[in-house]
Amino acid sequence: MKNLLNLTLRRSIIYASIVLAGSIPVYYFILNKLWLYEMDEHNIILTEEAGKEDSFLIISAVTILTVIFFGLLIGGLVLMNRRISKRLWTPFYDSLAKIKGFDLNKQTPIQFEETGITEFAELNKNLQKLLTSSISAYNQQKEFVDNASHELQTPLAIVQSKLDLLLQSQSLTADQYDIIEDAHKALTRVSRINKNLLLLARIDNSQYNDNETFDLSNAIEKSIDLSTQFADVKQLHIESDIQPSQIVTGNKALIEILINNLLNNAIRHSTPNGTIHISLKNNEIRFANNGSDALQSDQLFKRFGTANSQTPGTGLGLALVKQIAERHQWKVGYQFFQQQHIFTVAI
Amino acid sequence: MKILIIEDEPDLAQSIAAYLADENYHCELAGTFNEALEKIDLYHYDCVLLDISLPGGNGLKLLEELRAENKQEGVIIISAKNAIDDKIKGLQIGADDYMAKPFHLSELAARIYSVIRRKQFGTTNIIEQNELRIDLLAKTVSIEGKEIPLTKKEFSLLLYFVSNKNKVISKSALAEQLSGDIADMFDNYDFIYAHIKNLKKKLQEAGYGNYLKTLYGTGYKWVI
Repeated sequence: MKNLLNLTLRRSIIYASIVLAGSIPVYYFILNKLWLYEMDEHNIILTEEAGKEDSFLIISAVTILTVIFFGLLIGGLVLMNRRISKRLWTPFYDSLAKIKGFDLNKQTPIQFEETGITEFAELNKNLQKLLTSSISAYNQQKEFVDNASHELQTPLAIVQSKLDLLLQSQSLTADQYDIIEDAHKALTRVSRINKNLLLLARIDNSQYNDNETFDLSNAIEKSIDLSTQFADVKQLHIESDIQPSQIVTGNKALIEILINNLLNNAIRHSTPNGTIHISLKNNEIRFANNGSDALQSDQLFKRFGTANSQTPGTGLGLALVKQIAERHQWKVGYQFFQQQHIFTVAI
Repeated sequence: MKILIIEDEPDLAQSIAAYLADENYHCELAGTFNEALEKIDLYHYDCVLLDISLPGGNGLKLLEELRAENKQEGVIIISAKNAIDDKIKGLQIGADDYMAKPFHLSELAARIYSVIRRKQFGTTNIIEQNELRIDLLAKTVSIEGKEIPLTKKEFSLLLYFVSNKNKVISKSALAEQLSGDIADMFDNYDFIYAHIKNLKKKLQEAGYGNYLKTLYGTGYKWVI
């Protein structure tokens, strides 16, 4: 990639060198002509050898002069170009730096400086317009998710309550009970998806306090404790290596969700009788469980990126993990190594 | 027992009332802020179910009103918002519990039951059912004076059944109750069986009659 300033400078230098190089034979020709004319005028006759020597002298003089002037010209050009361009392009680089620093998630407003140059003013005006519309589209989308999932809660609650009531009717047959139970199951899934969407939107909207200080080791131990009942059903063995009293600062409720989601994933996707390794050391939380094939790491952390009928999750668990980690400037990673899915969070 | 259901969604309010009606509860409904305010001022209730977003005002204002008048009603907030802030604020103003929509009616009944017990039986909070004796404060269960060692989960399961007696409780409601927020949906509900089996076994060994019936294969009912 070429720098804009160097691009113009290089062109000028190439042009100057061509012109100056081309001027050498012209100078020589003209000087030679003048020289011969003057000698004719004064009836001076040179030997062939002297003539050659003169030509040689003229050419060298012209060449040396040209090179000196070329040097002066280039030096001047470079210096001037640098100073002028710097001043000229300052507003452009200013705007560039501002756009670079812009984060749609944080949305600190950008104020471009007055430039007094039509082109840059135009550019800044349009950049501003583009940014404003991006911000408003982004906010609208976030608000939409928040509102939509919020509005869905009440009808979901109605359906749930009606199913619970239906369950109480005396004349229910076993088949009908099963149908209600299936509906319940699907409804639970919708509710969970909805709750997670709402949570994602809330995290986006920064509605959480991030200044709690708490014991991460404890939180992980607690989560393992609560999840054991699910692991037992699949005869999974949980091995943990938790460095004690690791204190972190962040939002406790959200971090607990992060831990639970990763742990639940490990349980859900383990083959029966497997072992899940959980560790917290060297500022890294690590979950490893056995598996047969590597997962698509580019899709893994996207919303609904991994949702399909085989994996009955909400499709939002890992998206939440990523979002929560990013909020705390933590880094999540995934690798498949020796038939193990390994999820890490660097804290 | 009188219960006031403040909820602007009539379908939901009626479902709740219908479910609670058999349980010796008398339910009254209020669909708007003003209607609720009037009822709160005039009558006394054992428990108030309170939706936060109401036509005519914020439900939290009603809660403030209740507490300002020094009324000791048990209050359970039922909200579609599920925002942590709302929850904290509600509990700070003096709500006794908070439930996010959607919820199972059996879960709601269990919460109402425990809020009323907490409010009305301060120091000696003991439930007696036939030969069963549950001490809510000490969290112990005994049959004819003999204590039964229950795990935390088994104890909360037993309370859940006792507060939903003669009701059919579905597997998914139990799963929700047992796993709480942690299970971001496990398709496999097998973990319930282990807890129920253990609870049943412990009760039977201590000589308690078989009140916990299995219905339709996977549902449960505490028959008294």
